[in-house]
Amino acid sequence: MERSRILSLAHLWTAFLCFLPAVGLGFWQMLMRSPLPAPVDDPNTYYASVTAHGSIMAYVFPTFFAMGFGYAIAVSALGRPLQGEKWAWVGYALSLIGTVMALVPVAAGRASVLYTFYPPLLGSSWYYLGLALVIIGSYFWIALMLVNFRAWKRENPGKPVPLAMFAITACALLWGWTALGAVSEVLFQILPVTFGWRHTIDAGLARTLFSVTLHAIVYFWLIPAYIAYYTLMPQAAGGRLYSDTMGRITFILFLVFSIPVGLHHLFMDPEHGAGFKFVQSVLTFMVALPTLLTVFTITASLEIAGRVRGGKGLFGWIRALPWHEPMVLGVGLSLLLLGPGGFGGLINMSYAMNAMIHNTSWVTAHFHLIFGGAVVIVYFAIAYELWPRLTGRPLVSKRLADIQLWLWFWGILITTVPWHIAGLMGQPRRYAIFDYSDPVVAKTAFLVILSVIGGCIVVISVLLFFYVLVRSSFAPVAESMPPIRYALSVNPPATVPALLNGFGLWNVILLALVLIAYGYPIGQFFFLHNQDAPAYSLTRGITK
Amino acid sequence: MKLENGPRLHNPWGFIVVAVVSATVVIAFGLGFLLLPRYQEPRAPFSTKDAVYHALGFHIHGKAFNTMQPPPKVPTYIAWTESTIRQATIGDRKSGEFIATNCTACHGEKGLSTQPWIPSLAGLDRLVLYKQLDDFRSGTRLSGPMSAIAQSLTSQQYADVSAYFASLPGLPENRGERTPRPHSSYRNRDPVQRLIYAGDPKRGIAACASCHGPGGYRIGAPALAKQNELYLEQQLQAFALGTRANDMDMPMRTIASALTESEIRALARAYANENANGP
Repeated sequence: MERSRILSLAHLWTAFLCFLPAVGLGFWQMLMRSPLPAPVDDPNTYYASVTAHGSIMAYVFPTFFAMGFGYAIAVSALGRPLQGEKWAWVGYALSLIGTVMALVPVAAGRASVLYTFYPPLLGSSWYYLGLALVIIGSYFWIALMLVNFRAWKRENPGKPVPLAMFAITACALLWGWTALGAVSEVLFQILPVTFGWRHTIDAGLARTLFSVTLHAIVYFWLIPAYIAYYTLMPQAAGGRLYSDTMGRITFILFLVFSIPVGLHHLFMDPEHGAGFKFVQSVLTFMVALPTLLTVFTITASLEIAGRVRGGKGLFGWIRALPWHEPMVLGVGLSLLLLGPGGFGGLINMSYAMNAMIHNTSWVTAHFHLIFGGAVVIVYFAIAYELWPRLTGRPLVSKRLADIQLWLWFWGILITTVPWHIAGLMGQPRRYAIFDYSDPVVAKTAFLVILSVIGGCIVVISVLLFFYVLVRSSFAPVAESMPPIRYALSVNPPATVPALLNGFGLWNVILLALVLIAYGYPIGQFFFLHNQDAPAYSLTRGITK
Repeated sequence: MKLENGPRLHNPWGFIVVAVVSATVVIAFGLGFLLLPRYQEPRAPFSTKDAVYHALGFHIHGKAFNTMQPPPKVPTYIAWTESTIRQATIGDRKSGEFIATNCTACHGEKGLSTQPWIPSLAGLDRLVLYKQLDDFRSGTRLSGPMSAIAQSLTSQQYADVSAYFASLPGLPENRGERTPRPHSSYRNRDPVQRLIYAGDPKRGIAACASCHGPGGYRIGAPALAKQNELYLEQQLQAFALGTRANDMDMPMRTIASALTESEIRALARAYANENANGP
């Protein structure tokens, strides 16, 4: 038991220690984009910084977090030692080496391609190899989640797999399938060029392969937060989960529908016809279902807890909830931000409305609101929940933790709301510098300054988060620390249908959907051959 | 899959799930491929076959458009395809050195020109040299002596001589590395520096450095640092007037025509006097 705690802690510390500088970079980037003076003041440094920020926030931080959280769940929810712990350390080491390999060339200015690395812009091979290694390391985790899932089912025939384990396994499977898109782009499109074997690159195929990963990766980030929604928050609130079945259906729907929808990131791209864009737009709407189910179930669970605690009337139960519990507060604030974030997403995924906001700051604001506001705030709450259990030392102050979560909530809100508006006013994304002497650009100046203020609050919140974690790590060891407890549902299931207790059929449906939705859009490049573009190597690997 | 809830016949959920997902897919395809294309004005496709073609992204209106067009003006016959890049980069330095004995009269010993209106070639990118030779041959860039010389050489000889000049020490190589260079945004008060590193979007002028360096690289765009000042100035003026028009997608004609006389002179001077840290 002790060794698996160290395993989880190592992953979570790595995740947050990467997160810290990435937040600092993000703040500086916002300053660069603003009319305020910014240190260094160099567009090329901005792009290097965005690449580091994006690569950490999109790949490194959530991957290490999901891995650490997953191991903690496998041990605590299944109540058995982690099978294959040695391999977990191998995966950890690979991902860590990959992180260093990817970030060194970025810092050297040799891989400023942004985390979406859309070719034909190309950076150093080391960057792509490093990120591939991060993903390969995480495949060890995926395998271990499946192995432990199966082992428990074998030992407990007919019993429902605990919801937390069921969900993290869905998360692992989802990541396993969806990462194949980016990995094949790197292996078959990018590396042959950066190694100098080819001089042109099929930009259309590369972008399409990346889109296989680009949307579902969001749900890979989101599912750990949803696990806290379903299994940790009702317990912390002193109530019960409204429905275990709803939780299972939610995670299954994420697994099935989040991959065959990535084309909605390419609505304005010329390499695909309108037909498949429309089909994937429809399928994208299916991904809204599990979130709607979740909002309903979690609100119901909160109401149950509120009423159990004596809350009365139409809204009295809200006041009766223990908002001083970081887990309850974190999930509550996350739900609030999930609302506007989710509706923004519905606009992005609508084929026609997308045209208005495509490639504007609206999109960047949207994913910061979803990732920062709905996901990371719950990562903090999970950390506050797990740290005492993993270290055996109590949290120094729940009050400081609550202040931190509130600061984060307001920081993200103040950063992203003006950012959305600037996007609607036509501010383009992926721009390092804006000429505020231009009257059209000048109209967004005030909004960007507001975002800078929000960013400042976010930075303070993150520093406070580290203060709480570090202080707690040096607190005296508690005499006894209760183990992680997962919420019971109102009607704890004695058995569940086989369909809701495994992933066999769902994997088949998922692959069939991917084949239907992506078969032609990817296959066309093998007979059309019309998308080859000269590789624009950042560091000019092609001629010397 | 193992059933834990009795025989399959009594558990219809697997069937229901597959049916619901299939129905969603069928409806999505029906709408996206058959129905909606018919209502896309103007010129909605008439037949089912055309609707499907349209949805797949095939151009189905080709016959109606593009009938009578003026003859195209071709800026250059070079396109950066796999085969062109290969051809331009397989040159032999030794053969190139022999060919280059014909160049010294104008471009100087070792490719460093002493006449201010003639460019230095030492250290220039191979693809840049190859493209200009091909443009002189095809007549898309005009120069009496260079056209005659280019017409007397083969593509392989272009590659050879390009390899030779590229290997000489001379103009600082534009490696395209994004090392931090403070004060290169609109906040810089020096208007020339601002043009070089940030451009002027109000006038549609992109930053010079994003293609010509330092800190940026674009295939086919020459490094300009330490190039002869008068040559740079004359080329910018030629682009502005349209008397030089061999820039693919016309970025240089667009930008140069938006620059003022004094900006052209200042930019040429800045690049010609560039030191290791940029102009």
